[in-house]
Amino acid sequence: MRAVAERLANRIKEKRAELGLTQAELAERVGVTRKTVNTVENGVFVPSALLALKLAEALSVPVEELFRIER
Amino acid sequence: MAEQSDFEAAERLSARRTRMLPLLAILLITQQGAFFANSGGDRIVDHVKVSAWLVMSAVILLALLTGGGWIYPKRVRNLANDEATQVNRLKAIRTGFVAAMVACLALYFLTFVEQVEVREAIHIVTTAGLTAALLSFAFMERRDARGG
Repeated sequence: MRAVAERLANRIKEKRAELGLTQAELAERVGVTRKTVNTVENGVFVPSALLALKLAEALSVPVEELFRIER
Repeated sequence: MAEQSDFEAAERLSARRTRMLPLLAILLITQQGAFFANSGGDRIVDHVKVSAWLVMSAVILLALLTGGGWIYPKRVRNLANDEATQVNRLKAIRTGFVAAMVACLALYFLTFVEQVEVREAIHIVTTAGLTAALLSFAFMERRDARGG
């Protein structure tokens, strides 16, 4: 059976824009650098469960609404 | 307000580190050039050069293992060494390890055609490993800072 390529898609940019937050402001809320928010937002870096939960909390959305598996 | 300044300090530390990494790699390679140009010397200046190289290599290794920025408060260091940076650092250390192993294998084959002094081999392996790790870390940090 051929493995299906999977990636973690997210709606961080969209949710951030709704709250009027910059990457730096979100990063500060979460306790990481702007670079980390940027890499997660662009799908370059897959965050740990802890960081994913922190991002969801900072954006006031459930984590499953923020992240989804894209096949 | 204090948290804001910690955050800004961490951003500055992260940016400064990204700029410094390639410069450290160049400095390390330049030191190697000086070592091989005056190889085998027993003057005081030769011992000073080797000592400087040893200290620099140890500091770079420690910086790669811990993330550096030791003059900054712990909270700032933790922020600057966040999750994505830690992953980049671990990947860079892995690249450095592979480069050091490749250098070992290359030196092994080189000994069939040319005699290699133990100290020269140590210099080559150390420089290959540290330089590869520094450049790899710099590349990933720059890429991430630019926007992935």
